[in-house]
Amino acid sequence: MPVARTHCPYCALQCAMTLTPVETPVKTDAAASVSQATAVVTVTGREFPTNRGGLCKKGWTSAELLTSPDRILEPLLRQADGTFEPASWSDALDLVASKLREARAEHGADAVGAFGGGSLTNEKAYQLGKFTRVALRSSRIDYNGRFCMSSAAAAGNRAFGLDRGLPFRVDELDAADTILILGSNVAQTMPPFIGHLEGARAAGGLVVVDPRRTATARLTDDGAGMHVQPTPGSDLVLLLGLTHIVIAEKLADLDYLASRTTGFDAVRRSVSQWWPARVQEQTGVPVWQLRELARRLAGGAARGAATGSGTYILTGRGVEQHADGTDTATAAINLSLVLGLVGTTHSGYGTLTGQGNGQGGREHGQKCDQLPGYRKINDPAARAHVAGVWGVDPDSLPGVGLPAVELLSSLGEPGGIRCLLVHGSNVVVSAPNANRVRAALKTLDFLVVADFFFSETAVLADVVLPVTQWAEEEGTMTSLEGRVIRRRLAVDAPEGVRSELWIWQELARRLDSASTFSAEASEVFDELCRASAGGLADYSGLSYELLDSEEPAFWPYPAGSTGTPRLFLDRFAHPDGRAHLVAVQASRLGAPAQVDGTLTLITGRLLEHYQSGTQTRRVRELADAQPEARLQLHPATAEQLGIIDEAWVEVSNDRGTVRCRAEVSTDIRFDTVFLPFHFAGDQRANLLTDDETDPVSGMPEFKKTTVRVRALVEAGAHV
Amino acid sequence: MSEHRNSEHIVLVGYGPVGARFVDELLPLVRQGAAILTVVGAESADAYNRVLIAEYAVGNADRESLDITDTLAAREAGVHLRLGLSVTAILRSRRAVSLSDDTLLRYDRLVLATGARANVPTLDGVTRVHRDRQAPPADAATLDTSGAPLPRGVTVLRDLDDAQRVLAAVTAGARIVVLGAGVLGVEIALAAATAGAQACVVYHGEIPMARNLDRGGGSVLAQSARRAGVTMVNHSRAESLLFHEDDDGVDRFDALICADGKQIHGDLLLLSCGVGARIELAQLAALPVSTGILVDENLQSWGDPRIYAIGDCAHVAPAPRAGASTALPSGGPSGLIGPGWRQADWLAARFTVEMVGRGAALPLAASVSAVVMLKSEGIDVVSVGNTGADPWDRAADNASIDAHAAGCSGAPLSVSQWADPEHGRYVKMVTRDGILEGFVCVGMPRTAAELTLLFERGSELPADRSVLLRYDGPDYEPSAGSAFDPGATVCWCNGVTVGAIADSAAAGNTSVACISSATRAGTGCGGCKMRIIDVLERFATSEPAAGTAG
Repeated sequence: MPVARTHCPYCALQCAMTLTPVETPVKTDAAASVSQATAVVTVTGREFPTNRGGLCKKGWTSAELLTSPDRILEPLLRQADGTFEPASWSDALDLVASKLREARAEHGADAVGAFGGGSLTNEKAYQLGKFTRVALRSSRIDYNGRFCMSSAAAAGNRAFGLDRGLPFRVDELDAADTILILGSNVAQTMPPFIGHLEGARAAGGLVVVDPRRTATARLTDDGAGMHVQPTPGSDLVLLLGLTHIVIAEKLADLDYLASRTTGFDAVRRSVSQWWPARVQEQTGVPVWQLRELARRLAGGAARGAATGSGTYILTGRGVEQHADGTDTATAAINLSLVLGLVGTTHSGYGTLTGQGNGQGGREHGQKCDQLPGYRKINDPAARAHVAGVWGVDPDSLPGVGLPAVELLSSLGEPGGIRCLLVHGSNVVVSAPNANRVRAALKTLDFLVVADFFFSETAVLADVVLPVTQWAEEEGTMTSLEGRVIRRRLAVDAPEGVRSELWIWQELARRLDSASTFSAEASEVFDELCRASAGGLADYSGLSYELLDSEEPAFWPYPAGSTGTPRLFLDRFAHPDGRAHLVAVQASRLGAPAQVDGTLTLITGRLLEHYQSGTQTRRVRELADAQPEARLQLHPATAEQLGIIDEAWVEVSNDRGTVRCRAEVSTDIRFDTVFLPFHFAGDQRANLLTDDETDPVSGMPEFKKTTVRVRALVEAGAHV
Repeated sequence: MSEHRNSEHIVLVGYGPVGARFVDELLPLVRQGAAILTVVGAESADAYNRVLIAEYAVGNADRESLDITDTLAAREAGVHLRLGLSVTAILRSRRAVSLSDDTLLRYDRLVLATGARANVPTLDGVTRVHRDRQAPPADAATLDTSGAPLPRGVTVLRDLDDAQRVLAAVTAGARIVVLGAGVLGVEIALAAATAGAQACVVYHGEIPMARNLDRGGGSVLAQSARRAGVTMVNHSRAESLLFHEDDDGVDRFDALICADGKQIHGDLLLLSCGVGARIELAQLAALPVSTGILVDENLQSWGDPRIYAIGDCAHVAPAPRAGASTALPSGGPSGLIGPGWRQADWLAARFTVEMVGRGAALPLAASVSAVVMLKSEGIDVVSVGNTGADPWDRAADNASIDAHAAGCSGAPLSVSQWADPEHGRYVKMVTRDGILEGFVCVGMPRTAAELTLLFERGSELPADRSVLLRYDGPDYEPSAGSAFDPGATVCWCNGVTVGAIADSAAAGNTSVACISSATRAGTGCGGCKMRIIDVLERFATSEPAAGTAG
């Protein structure tokens, strides 16, 4: 097989890589291939505007999973005694189809649901939405992007009328004078991205807001910028306070606000109450730093207008994964608009999408209220258009379903889901209040999980369907900058492993579904393009042929256009062409007293792992570097609790208990502890998180959990 | 906007920042017609953010940035706004208020948010305001002066007109004498000095902000203020004013004369001597008052369950049980905006629950002492609570136990202190059981910010209190440890440390390309290649040592 020019299987930066098939696996000297001694392909970085030939540790080692001994190589059926036995595809699919029919007949179509993921290709995300609504006739579909991008997406739609994570090209950041990153540890989550921060660092303008002194925060050292370290959960107040200073110090771009936006007056009035001293009281960020930051942002914006090197504000999950995440992202957008950043040639606002296809995955129908092309499912015109492409009656399409947390809470409940299909998601690890999710999955009549490995969720399934990995399939992904890119086949999948597209085709046939379900990625993409035509995320001018020509392809890409690398230059996507500032309030103030080990837990990511760790925990080099969860806490807090570095600790609240080792570090505030969420069993950070959600986006509260930490006296006993 | 026949009539008296907040929170109720809300406000202007009045007075904020509410939205929602009018009496038996335009307004619930006025001290040369308790001024414009306006060149700083007088003086670079060294007095003097005026603060005691600061904190503040160009005149009791005649024959302020005979000349005398709650209406209606209108934990008047008070005019204290002591409770209105807003939010939420049965009625959080923060660029002063205790003073502990008799544990007070007057830094933390009961923090902004959070939450301080002091140290934000520490990360993309590169170099990989191929360092974003060279150079020069260690 020839070399495949593809992209990394992991995060949304989608670093370009070349996969070269290995005829006879040989051990080479290059360290890059050390862990690929038995690999079927070798990985090399490929020149591309986003990663410029570089890859992080996760990318370099990705090929190891293709031949992992843990891989599931044939469909597995749970037996009466709880063990799994292999089955043929036709037996497995017959069983699944009959269970789906049964559940539907007995409890109605909405008793069957699907849970998707932001790592699925555009084709799969689109097809899963169609399969659920047409073949299953169910409204019950949502996906793990709800835990990821939903707050920023809701805020972007509300403000701009459209949600594309970065409405500009990643490499446009290179020229920035000032970059404000709120709640994102890019140096660990998408390391090659930090190359794009160099310009701002050289200008002394990288500002990182994070309660932890993360690898990204350290990039501000030595005059490269500023680290702002607010107490968890106070980001919204911080942003309101910055907006207050910008307005009070007459740094707002009033001409821009007048000509391109609506709603400024309400925002101006609403931030009047957040004068700097009051913001210091709530956030722990001193007044001088607030002022310095506001002035730097405005200075960058002004320089941008003059020289083209402007100010960019970027948000990440740290500020978005809250029960007030939509309002926090809105406050960041308001600040950007007050500074006149958005829709210019030199500045901007963006949100850093996390999962590989977190962008494309939220555009084409995996969301409970959405049809392809980022259309609303309750819009009659959208229904008519999509039903036309699918060849079905618009009235046959279901209405709005339930967002992820609600969908998972409905499992096994009266009127809830009895039978669930899970694709590209490991909810037992990644969903909040994980104990409850696990218990709920067990109450289902029937659970089908499609995965490469026995994930913590697959272990609970009645049927496990082995599916293709990134190097074994064709498809497209839409990266964090809204660029549609090709995923290409490098190596044939093992015998017995199938693509989801084929699985849904087979199931649709068994269910006598209307419409057609192609198993050919390029055919599905063509249909997706037609379905998206005229929608916000319009792909209708794209085709595999065009993408294969390596033309940059940024959506919206209507037929006859050349795409849109930079959005909003002339107008925003609302009918009035303006950006809408929406005044938001900080109403969730206050936190419980921190005494006797009561602390605030924030969750997050490590360089070595991706999402629930289903994949990366199975890569030897990554697992060796980060084999287990560690609770990061400040030495002063550790001393008070009698905890030493490496000692075993217990982190608990009324939802659950985590036991792990301590990592004592001055990189964290003394009122805060940090746990990565990639680990399984009783090291699952999400045993502790609350399933309270944002009223607009349905985003759970991942970043402000009250826990109690204590030393485990029987230390060595666990070793 | 349809008004249901049985909707309740709510009358709000006062349209300052607290009143405006209450209106905002009640809008949903008004929009759905569940309540009819009428607002009576003496100032004809829309509510504005009085907290920022000092900023406005020195030209740091414009009028627009004081806007705090959308009066148009309130009108559109159906709120009846009667601005430029005052309430002359509460007719409790008729459940109505009479207005200065001789109309009556019926209420089911009456909310008083009448706020406070600036105190005018007794000074020879300033006509004493005589308030007729039986007949409050009928003219809204003279609500506070009662026909005894301040002399020319003398002002308080409370409303927009006052602020404009001060602004004129600041803009002219005039000499401004501030009488009183409370937080507002010090703030305005510092801001005026920064804006180019000459400022002088005259006060009684030894230290400024004596109500909020201990001797150490006050001394450091006074010194910092002097360094900022403000003349600080302490131990000075003001007695009288000297005037000179303007061209039109009217007297204008010339100098302030103190008890010790010193004369302090200036162009403007700014009286900053605290505020007093506007309680006349309540008093006239025979409602219980102290220094404020007495309301219980539900913000309901001790004397009339249909009448509520919020903000600067309200003194929240448990109502006495029948037969209990009739002594008035100690304390009074806090004079700070935070508690006022919390009361406005809570009362609006409670009304909503009672009128439409939605939401839950949580008790109003007991008000903790409010944190006082000097708003000034360059000088950071934050304080709260008990700051009088001394590290070596057990007697102070006992006294304070008496003062806090209710709900106090037996644990002793502990005091930790850091004083560095030379560099304008001072911190005192007063704790019980490791939890702050008060603190003073001058010249250490990060520490102040952390202490504020710890106080507000009632959280335990780190046992080693010096952890908190180090936030403002120059060593707080460098990369921890040496850049060449073996554990220090060089390549973030691939998690490669100095140690791994040194090991690889020891194995013969001495060029960046070799290191990259062997360890993957530099194969991500490529930003670390210079650092790899640094590490290699250092390794090359320290090879023998590394060899020994290895």
